[in-house]
Amino acid sequence: MGLDVNTVFQIAGLGIIVAMLHTVLKMIGKEDYAHWVTLLGFVVALFMVISLLDDLFQKVKDVFLFHS
Amino acid sequence: MISWIGALAILSATTITGFEFAKRVRERPKRLRELKVTLQALEAEIMYGSTPLNEAFQHIGKPLKEPLSSFFLTISDLLNQGVLSVQEAWEKELSVLAKETSFKSGEIEVLRQFGATLGRHDKEHQQKQIQLTLAHLNREEKEARDIQERYEKMCKSLGVLMGLLIIILLL
Repeated sequence: MGLDVNTVFQIAGLGIIVAMLHTVLKMIGKEDYAHWVTLLGFVVALFMVISLLDDLFQKVKDVFLFHS
Repeated sequence: MISWIGALAILSATTITGFEFAKRVRERPKRLRELKVTLQALEAEIMYGSTPLNEAFQHIGKPLKEPLSSFFLTISDLLNQGVLSVQEAWEKELSVLAKETSFKSGEIEVLRQFGATLGRHDKEHQQKQIQLTLAHLNREEKEARDIQERYEKMCKSLGVLMGLLIIILLL
């Protein structure tokens, strides 16, 4: 459980910082870079979520004894 | 415990990098203004003092700050040795100056063209060339100040935010 909370906080922090980066870059007038940074942050967050989901599915498999 | 120390190290490193970039951006308009004042002093030396170039460079180079000061003083020394022509000495030192300072290729090119006219014409032509160079430098300075206003803050905040991002990714 401790690990999960840590990852959730990590994703939250990632979101906050990417949002700040987006604001700064937009303020400067580099909107294209801002969009790229946001997209990259989104992809990284997705990777974190995917690893969590993988754990979940593994657990489901284990519970229902689907051993491959 | 160890990871927090590492996080602090990363954060300080990226912050310092951001501030360094901001400093480089801030430096350029300042140097350009110094250069303009120097060219005006050179114009006064030529127009009212009719000083030879080596002495004039000596006079205007002494009160300046470091990179520009050594630029003019070294040219003066080279001219005193009498081996190189004005244009050759100017070009040689200009390539050194381009490496050391935050000048961009625009103003270096302006200065190179100015150096090609030094010591070739009479006083009136020389004054016109100096005025032309000053006009070019004015434009470059305006552009540099524009860039400074936009990019100085961005460099600072980008440094800090990048550090935080890396920390969160690694944590």
